Amino acid sequence: MTYLIHALISFASSVGFGIITNIPRRTLLPAGITGAASWLVYVALTAATHAVILPNLMAGVTIGVLANLFAIRVKAPVNVMYIPSLVSLVPGAIIYMSMKDFTLGREAAAQQGLTKTLTIAIALAVGFVIAEASFNALRRLARRRPQN
Amino acid sequence: MVTNEKAIIALCGRVGKLLLENGAETGRVEGTVEYIGRAAGLAVSCHATMTALFVDADFDTATHLVKVRTKDFDLRKVDAVNTLSRRFVAGRIDWATLESGVADVERQRVDYTWPQKILGAGLVSVAPMLLFQATWGDLALAFGVGIAGYLAAQLTGRHTSTPYIAVGVGGLTIGFLATTLALAGLGASADNIVISALMPLVPGVAITNSLRELIAKHTISGLVRAVDAVMVAGAIGAGVVVGNALAHGLLGGLL
Repeated sequence: MTYLIHALISFASSVGFGIITNIPRRTLLPAGITGAASWLVYVALTAATHAVILPNLMAGVTIGVLANLFAIRVKAPVNVMYIPSLVSLVPGAIIYMSMKDFTLGREAAAQQGLTKTLTIAIALAVGFVIAEASFNALRRLARRRPQN
Repeated sequence: MVTNEKAIIALCGRVGKLLLENGAETGRVEGTVEYIGRAAGLAVSCHATMTALFVDADFDTATHLVKVRTKDFDLRKVDAVNTLSRRFVAGRIDWATLESGVADVERQRVDYTWPQKILGAGLVSVAPMLLFQATWGDLALAFGVGIAGYLAAQLTGRHTSTPYIAVGVGGLTIGFLATTLALAGLGASADNIVISALMPLVPGVAITNSLRELIAKHTISGLVRAVDAVMVAGAIGAGVVVGNALAHGLLGGLL
């Protein structure tokens, strides 16, 4: 039940951000599904491990794989799918809190926040790279097979 | 089929500018421009950073330079240009069609209606991160506060060309409303409402994109995006602090 609520809210977040960033209508549903799936991966892994890097990394991989699949399916650039589906995972709230600490003169807390922002962003970005690299390798394999 | 090299380079520059302005990654921009050039029969090489775009071919000494100022995401334009270039490279449309297609994308702005965008901003403002941490009442309030912040930022953005003012005003609106609601006893935690409602404005996607550019070895673009994200977050943070102080100063005694 909790997972169902998580899925619904993250789906709505991704579709909403898709509307704000003006993605084409045919990509709204794939972006929402990608966003919801990656958020579920993140929530499940966070509950299982209580770590920061692994859940974000695996969520990044999920987005990378699904977005690339959908991009071929609906013929759109991958970025159109990446940006809305990232919105729930991305360390936006943390970078804001860190800059707020900075404004209020709490430098130690500000630095801690910036480091955490960087950690999450790196984990997500590396997840994307892993997904893209393995996806491209698979695609080459799939393309080679019909010729043999 | 295409005779004028200068025309090819000029159109390549326009395509690159459209992609870069509206939120495509640097690597994608360079790739698309070079594909189009090659498909038109000219070995074009392209270098893109977040602030400028260079297109060059070997037929003379001049390099075509296009200045770029990134705007808000408009991924529909990125998609439209991408579709045009894919069709052109596959030989399904000719040069003239590509040229008029690019001109169309430059001119017209296809967008969702305002009610749809307002609903979208509200949906983004209910952050999944805060589920089961914030109260449902706070999340419901964040839906409305987030819409107010998004509208404030959009309206301010239309009336000023000074960078970072729009997001700062958005942060101020959200900080003021959230603190007021908490002081009035309607919201449980002003902090939770603020964090949730800031989701449409906050530069989280920008910072992740910056890391992707850095990993792809587009170092300059990555750094530009990272510094920009920190500046945006700073403007929002300062806005929220001021809004918070305003609400306390104006209403602290009354409520």
